Amino acid sequence: MNISLLYSLRLSICVLASTPFLSPLSGQSNFTVSGTVIDKKTGETIIGAIIRIQEVKNAGTVSNEYGFYSLTVAEGDYTMQINLSGYKSITRKIALHGNLREDFSLEDTTFVYDEVVITGEREDQNVSDPQMGTQKLDMKEANKIPVLFGEKDILKTIQLLPGIKSGGDGGSGFYVRGGSGDQNLILLDEAPVYNASHLLGFFSTFNSDAIKDVTVYKGNGPAQYGGRLASVLDVKMNDGNNKRYHVGGGIGLISSKLNVEGPIVKDKSSFIVTGRRTYADMFLKLSPDSTISNNTLFFYDLNAKLNYQLNDKNRIFVSGYFGRDKIGIANAFGIEWGNATGTFRWNHILNDRLFTNTSLIFSNYDYKISITSPSADFSITSKIRDYNIKHEFQFFPNPAHSIRFGINTIYHTVTPGQIKASEGTAINPIKLQDRFGLESSVYFSDEWLATSRLRISYGARMSMFNVLGEGDYFLFDDAGDVTDTLSFASFEVAKTFFIPEPRVSFAFILDSLSSVKAAYSRNSQNLHLLSNSTSSSPTDLWIMNSMTIKPEIADQISAGYFRNFMDNKIEFSFELYYKVMQNQIDYRNGANTQGNELVEGELLFGKGRAYGAELFVKKKYGKFTGWISYTLARSERNIEGINDGRWYPVRQDRTHDISIVAMYDLGEKWSLAATWVYNTGNAVTFPSGKYYVDGNVQFLYTERNGYRMPAYHRMDIGATWQRKKTEKFESSWNFSVYNVYARENAYAIIFRESETDPNQTEAVRIALFKIIPSVTYNFRF
Amino acid sequence: MKLKKYLPFIFVAALAASCQEVIDVELNDKDAAIVIEANITDQPGPYTVTVTRSVNFSDPNVFPGVSGAFVTMADDAGNMDTLIETSAGVYVSNSFQGVTGRTYTVRVVADGVTYTASSFMPTLITLDSLVLEESGGFGGSQYYIIPQWQDPVGTGNYYRCIEYVNGERVGSFLYDDAFSDGLVNGQPLLNFETQLESGDTVRVVMQCIDPDVYLYFYSMDLTANNSTAAPANPETNFDNDALGYFNACAVSERTVVIP
Repeated sequence: MNISLLYSLRLSICVLASTPFLSPLSGQSNFTVSGTVIDKKTGETIIGAIIRIQEVKNAGTVSNEYGFYSLTVAEGDYTMQINLSGYKSITRKIALHGNLREDFSLEDTTFVYDEVVITGEREDQNVSDPQMGTQKLDMKEANKIPVLFGEKDILKTIQLLPGIKSGGDGGSGFYVRGGSGDQNLILLDEAPVYNASHLLGFFSTFNSDAIKDVTVYKGNGPAQYGGRLASVLDVKMNDGNNKRYHVGGGIGLISSKLNVEGPIVKDKSSFIVTGRRTYADMFLKLSPDSTISNNTLFFYDLNAKLNYQLNDKNRIFVSGYFGRDKIGIANAFGIEWGNATGTFRWNHILNDRLFTNTSLIFSNYDYKISITSPSADFSITSKIRDYNIKHEFQFFPNPAHSIRFGINTIYHTVTPGQIKASEGTAINPIKLQDRFGLESSVYFSDEWLATSRLRISYGARMSMFNVLGEGDYFLFDDAGDVTDTLSFASFEVAKTFFIPEPRVSFAFILDSLSSVKAAYSRNSQNLHLLSNSTSSSPTDLWIMNSMTIKPEIADQISAGYFRNFMDNKIEFSFELYYKVMQNQIDYRNGANTQGNELVEGELLFGKGRAYGAELFVKKKYGKFTGWISYTLARSERNIEGINDGRWYPVRQDRTHDISIVAMYDLGEKWSLAATWVYNTGNAVTFPSGKYYVDGNVQFLYTERNGYRMPAYHRMDIGATWQRKKTEKFESSWNFSVYNVYARENAYAIIFRESETDPNQTEAVRIALFKIIPSVTYNFRF
Repeated sequence: MKLKKYLPFIFVAALAASCQEVIDVELNDKDAAIVIEANITDQPGPYTVTVTRSVNFSDPNVFPGVSGAFVTMADDAGNMDTLIETSAGVYVSNSFQGVTGRTYTVRVVADGVTYTASSFMPTLITLDSLVLEESGGFGGSQYYIIPQWQDPVGTGNYYRCIEYVNGERVGSFLYDDAFSDGLVNGQPLLNFETQLESGDTVRVVMQCIDPDVYLYFYSMDLTANNSTAAPANPETNFDNDALGYFNACAVSERTVVIP
């Protein structure tokens, strides 16, 4: 099935490539200029550089995720211009009398001040691009922003953007446009990361030193992305310097990092290996008490990437990530968990206008709990594993169209739980059934410059999910009791879901500085995370569609106004969105989601809606940079069996959310940064009364999430001191203070019998972090 | 399997040990709800049914008894008893005797509303012994009690152990046999709050309970431990929106002195 799809795709390309109507310039000879954009110093390919031919109106394109671009125009002599913020622009004369290859090496402009760099226009991508609900993170900026314990963290930085909310104090969890945490597709070099957090959510699995590019799509992802309702977080790893060797690293409060990169064959291939490990457990080792020193508590990450340019037309990339957390209490229990991902990619330039990429992707997440005591010695393991094939074409028939299409198939295996017990222990070895699923899609999209004022991005993704054997699938009645059991053989299709996902967005350009945009998109989701706890837990269980669980579906419409001020120095955007969601999942009260073969009987299904407004102002250039983002939002669910069937706000629902980020360069030596965040409280369930049962006071609850946590606000400050910067060696110190004015923000509010007066009950606020200073030393040679 | 739920709290506790503060939270008032707590065991009676009302959060912990209710207990063998109110809201049985293997129904008529609940009294499985075990922890080693009983073959057995130290109740613990079918129990009474010391007298009462009663206490524990993101009233076996439970259980007990 998928193979034949592939062939029909190949066929359609040949047809497309030879179709004359796609070229508005037919009648003349058209030629293509194509090539790769790289960073001059490191040789890393550059994503998103804007390439224009000045003499031709609307002849512009953007370098793709591998730095490749292609522009086809009529024969002639032209001036090409390449722009990207943070880099010097390049203007180059070309004589286009045949297909031409032009590669560009851009030079970075960090620490170049007072220079009016750009003569032509600054980027106005945000105005002219039809793509909405998209945020790109500048890694240089992200590295300056102060964070908890000085651990630079992209997941904490994106929380400062409109429409993206933090999961909790100091946490790396995030929620996009009212969606839940599992509705974010987190990709690391195309491989899904199933649990992006370390140490129960306080740190993310992304080591900033290994990362090149981060883009978030807030429910309006282009058609090549799919599988989650709320967002796509596309993280791309550094390729490694192909000019010379570098060793870099950092020593921080919580962890140390080291990276090594360099050419394998100069200008042709490179590698990069980045590692990070925490050392909180080293302090435990200092304890003379063996019950303390034998405890373990750490995590580590390892990112590695290798790329090889076979020739002008072929390039391969191999990348991998391996991270693990380990927590152990001596002689009692231990838990460890982690992700492993691997991606093999082959870029092939079929011709000047047709770029292809084939990816083989592996992804694994697992956890293991071990319990050791004289009477019990057993372990519980659970995992989710993916094998993923993706084949994509990017076709640039003429400057008015950028076409992308491809197919993708993922084979999922979920092992919900397996207990291994040693002989004589009081636990039976049990294995819950493995679950299998095949998630396939075919997609097509076109970025179309319809007129000089109207740009349209349209496309569709056809998603299919097969629930596969081998195994027994259960049918449940309304009460959650099993009514029937259906058995399927290995690879037998138990059920198939088919969901078309159309996506379209328009940008209507009002003038060179402003535009209005509108978009509609549909996303579906076939994997769902069962999480019932107050904090993110490594033992939360992924579960696939089944006889009972249908794919989640979200339809989102959005509209926005985009304007740039002061010669594109300041970007402004205002977006509105409304999203309806089907087949949302929640639990019955008292649901047992762990180690339960019949867990689907514990689930309840319903619908959701989310809507809001997002305001964003950003100053991109100059000594003083930063942004202000404001979000007004609401997210609700309606599920039969919860809250008496009435709509209720979801836990991550917050009405107002403000972030202010300011960065100031004092000169070559010092740069300062500060952030301030404010949000009104999340929805929460508090008691509305109490009663006495079983010898204790119990609290009485009336409605789901009917209360609000207190407002949260916090300021963090940071400073970076560039000690020395030469070609040979550079080093810097980074100082930061988290929660500088010691606000006691409520992490949780609990209710209990009063400790001072047993005749009363009281509410207790638990606050986590107050004034956490940190220092990090970074070096590179 | 129970250990997992404590994990986040060990961390949060480590990070936030000193950041607890009593605060004022504006909570809505709620009309008083009826609360029924009814127990019957295989031991000789009398058995008690208490009928009280809920109060507002800010009120003192005084829960008014509901007087003048009509309370009966019946089994599926045709026996019935009308309970007598001995003090406000406290109703006790007369000659009624709980027998394992029977289904019991409690009926309470209060203020014109009838509330009923049924509970099955499972076969008695005897608590055979209490074993003392030393186990490690972040703060050093600690003693735990492992209550031992022989689980019969076939899943679907539920147990509840109530731990008393020197006569004072310190906790209750739920067990099922999903992962230990047919085995002698090896899971300790994991009580992080009570350090057992030499000379302490520990008494454990084990109840064999039905699945609905298990669900009641399981869902009650989830909320009481702050371990669920969606706190809710426990899943009661009473109808008509009454709070509380009716537990028909077979009990046995053991006592041990910490050496």
